[in-house]
Amino acid sequence: MLILALDTATDVATVALARDDEVLGERASRAVRVLEDVEVLMGEADLRAADLEGIAVGTGPGSYTGLRMGLITARTLAISLGVPVAGVSTLDALAAGAPGATPVVDAKRREVFTLVESEPHCLAAADLEVEPGRAYVGDGAVRYRDLIEERGGVVPPDDAGEHVPWARHHARLARDFGPGEATDPIYLRAPDAERALRR
Amino acid sequence: MILGIETSCDETAVALVTQDGEVRSNVVASQAELHARYGGVVPEVASRRHLELVGPVLSEALERGKATLDEVEAVAVTRGPGLIGALLVGLSAAKALAWSRRLPLIPVDHLHGHVASLYLEPGALEPPFLCLLVSGGHTLLLDVRARSGYHVVGTTLDDAAGEAFDKGARLLGLGYPGGAALDRKARDGDPDAYSFPVARVPGFDFSFSGLKTALLYVVRDLPADELERRRADLAASYQHAIVRALVERTRAAAMELGGQPIAVVGGVGANSELRAALADATLAPLPLCTDNAVMIASAARYAPAIPFPQYLALDAYATAA
Repeated sequence: MLILALDTATDVATVALARDDEVLGERASRAVRVLEDVEVLMGEADLRAADLEGIAVGTGPGSYTGLRMGLITARTLAISLGVPVAGVSTLDALAAGAPGATPVVDAKRREVFTLVESEPHCLAAADLEVEPGRAYVGDGAVRYRDLIEERGGVVPPDDAGEHVPWARHHARLARDFGPGEATDPIYLRAPDAERALRR
Repeated sequence: MILGIETSCDETAVALVTQDGEVRSNVVASQAELHARYGGVVPEVASRRHLELVGPVLSEALERGKATLDEVEAVAVTRGPGLIGALLVGLSAAKALAWSRRLPLIPVDHLHGHVASLYLEPGALEPPFLCLLVSGGHTLLLDVRARSGYHVVGTTLDDAAGEAFDKGARLLGLGYPGGAALDRKARDGDPDAYSFPVARVPGFDFSFSGLKTALLYVVRDLPADELERRRADLAASYQHAIVRALVERTRAAAMELGGQPIAVVGGVGANSELRAALADATLAPLPLCTDNAVMIASAARYAPAIPFPQYLALDAYATAA
């Protein structure tokens, strides 16, 4: 199965082209340029969009605008090419790239997205439970390096590849391919206006 | 056939238009109800809804046009101005659609789109004409000499006319979206009951912020039961002041440009008093006054197409360049 995988939920947008378990290519840029990278990968593999058999897409959590760009790209490709889509959480992809580490994505406003008992959660950075000696990866881990290290955690160097949700992991983790419209974003926070209304 | 996509504000729209300007389908999913409880458009709420709606709206546009994607020869999309997060949903969808089918992409300016709502068949308008573009975000007088563009001869120095309608409706407790509600209320009132000032600014520019303040003072000083009784009169007088300002400036500009014919486009172009006051002008069809994708596909007929795959890094813009 020829799979195009992409994740635009964090500042570094990634794409990968994979056939079964073989990664044919992988690139990184920004959400707005994600299809440019896809076109390069397809060219290198001498393939066309019509050859794709499935799309794996990062469902966040992360930047809302970035996340939506990836999801609408995946859903539209699915409609246009008649292929199924599978969603993979950005946190799961990060974890897959750094076995034994805890993924932490920057949620802005002094908050982070992380896995708590394998489930995605949004919490104040200050409330992050750090296990001494354990590794923490992702742009949130980089941003809150001081806090994590103070509490005995380990954060790889800022430029380490483990901090990026590489799309090869989405391609490998993708299960339950289905209609694109069924692949939903993981926001974890209601819009501010809605929260203000509830008060 | 051109497939157009528009997501610049709170309308998710997809349309099919032929190269000759014939509308094959026009689907608009309005989010107005969703935003009503916030009293205005909330960008994050709008963007979330666009993500949910683009796919279904696209499918419905194809279905209603009895067309398949194989018949689409180019993809047109609003690149700006508008809410950046909302625009990026439509732009990303357009790029994916065009890339996957190796089609050209035609980025369209939303304002050019409004003007191009006049270029559809039957009865496409031929330039030159003076176009009054009035919406929630813009109040512009455009000197249109060719279908590919225009020259701005007047703009608002503060609030857009549609914004003045929305703010006035809010002050009068008429709800959201305010323009249509105020128009309805005004029908039962006396437009001469109150005299609201229309700012005189040089050239062909507009100013509506003073008007809103004047209404605020009147409303504030009225006892509650009196306000209830005078609501329709206030709506009628307030609307009359906005419409008079628009009509006076537009007629003066048309005269200055040598007696050019007048055309009206944009959401406020649906206002009944404005339509009556400019009955001699070419008025955009009512369904095409508010945001839609027909106008985007129409404008694309007169805008440069970017060949496959040179558009893949294209970004959106929030404000006019």
